[in-house]
Amino acid sequence: MGYFKDILVGGWSLVKGLEVTIKRLYRPVVTLQYPRHKIEMSPSYRGHIELKRFPDTGSHYCVACGTCMRVCPSGVIKLQGEKDKALDVKRVVHYYIDFSHCSLCGLCVESCPMQTLEFSTEYELADESRWDGVIDLVKYFEESAR
Amino acid sequence: MAMINSEPEVTREYFLNLGPQHPSTHGVLRVLLKLDGEYIVEADPIIGYGHRGHEKMAENRTYKQFMPNPSRVDYLSGFIYNHGYVLAVEKLMGLEVPERAKYIRVICSELNRISSHLLWFGTFLMDLGAFTPFLYCFDDREVILDLLDSITGSRLTYCYCRIGGVAKDIDDQFIEGTLSFIKRLRSRWTDYHNLVTKNVIFIHRVKNIGLITKDIALKYGVTGPNLRGCGVPYDIRKAEPYEIYDELDFEIPVGEKGDIWDRYMVRLNEMEQSCRIIEQAIKKLPRGPIKASGVPVKIAPPKGEVYFPFESARGEAAFYIVSDGTEYPYRIRIRVPSFSNLQALIEVLPGTLVADTIAILGSIDIVVPEIDR
Repeated sequence: MGYFKDILVGGWSLVKGLEVTIKRLYRPVVTLQYPRHKIEMSPSYRGHIELKRFPDTGSHYCVACGTCMRVCPSGVIKLQGEKDKALDVKRVVHYYIDFSHCSLCGLCVESCPMQTLEFSTEYELADESRWDGVIDLVKYFEESAR
Repeated sequence: MAMINSEPEVTREYFLNLGPQHPSTHGVLRVLLKLDGEYIVEADPIIGYGHRGHEKMAENRTYKQFMPNPSRVDYLSGFIYNHGYVLAVEKLMGLEVPERAKYIRVICSELNRISSHLLWFGTFLMDLGAFTPFLYCFDDREVILDLLDSITGSRLTYCYCRIGGVAKDIDDQFIEGTLSFIKRLRSRWTDYHNLVTKNVIFIHRVKNIGLITKDIALKYGVTGPNLRGCGVPYDIRKAEPYEIYDELDFEIPVGEKGDIWDRYMVRLNEMEQSCRIIEQAIKKLPRGPIKASGVPVKIAPPKGEVYFPFESARGEAAFYIVSDGTEYPYRIRIRVPSFSNLQALIEVLPGTLVADTIAILGSIDIVVPEIDR
């Protein structure tokens, strides 16, 4: 008797399970067909860092002090500055980041005394070569203006 | 002339390597099994394939610079490790954190615990051969990842806690999203129970299998849901409450025997308890600053040492930090729960079938990079 009862109870549990999956079949699809459809990134998403554009001057405030370079745990940042003789301020000339080593901790953004670093929302950063991860932020900044 | 084997035929034990590239070992774990037919005679877990040297790395980095590392030790409950690390440093410095920051950290930690358990639920059932629950769990888990992404900026390896507070304040959108997620998750329990818990095949595969008895668990230092599954109500959040856990009302779910079924039920109930914690924390969430004032730019704790245990999704994790008064920690040792939990396999596996090994390994919920760290 127990044998047939087990079959009935077990069979019923499978039917109940199928009921769940069949119900789901008629619910809206939750997946996205990625390359054709994209979701919007949240504003606080951390991509690689970039130089922030300030509306009052239309430029960034980086003075190449090197705080970000020193605070970075992975040695991602390399930068070089030059003195602008006309304005008597130091300006950044090259700002290289090796994104392949970055762990996106945000210490550079927080430590920047000029508040001129921010995270970009770019996420499609897969590339063929390890050197493609090296980005010159000054060049990137100038290109984004166009 | 052909060689004639004059040795008499004997039955011998057979060695089988489970892993390091087996899909059900969730990483690079190798278990050397000695088999007698289908039965296991001896099991020897071999670890170390994913060693990255986090502890050594800590000695060459300042306290702040080590912050992205803890979440990479156990990437499935990264927030809890990030949280635990800053708590340890704060204890070493004697720093008082604002109330609001404490609440935010607890809310995010519990969300991370749910996401870790949901991932375990999915992958464990996939090990058993059920593919559908895996997709349902990832659908639910996706909501948590989006929520945490909206405030921390990352989806898996969070670096959101700061020494003395948190990086960014939470907004109403996050709170509303969290509450609606809890509502949504609660509506899913019936589906999960109908699909999995009551399923006859599942019940036959997990009941009375992989018994970790109380004695074995205590002998090997097994903690977390695996220990609670054998009926020991031990949870760091209750035993040594940190942050605001002593102000919140929640229960510790326990099992009876310590078989796979008990561990499964404990984790499912724990998710419900985490939901309760989040609800209470959101209700009590105070206003105020999110970062302590007077945190020095250069963090150099006084000479001394600290051991700070906290409850990760897998059990008792802890940071042991020795400071020599400089900006760099003299030594950081990380106590990981998966390492102790895995050792119980040596006693549990002998006498079971090879097919059950996968189920037992899945039910223990190990994260291999956490063991190797």
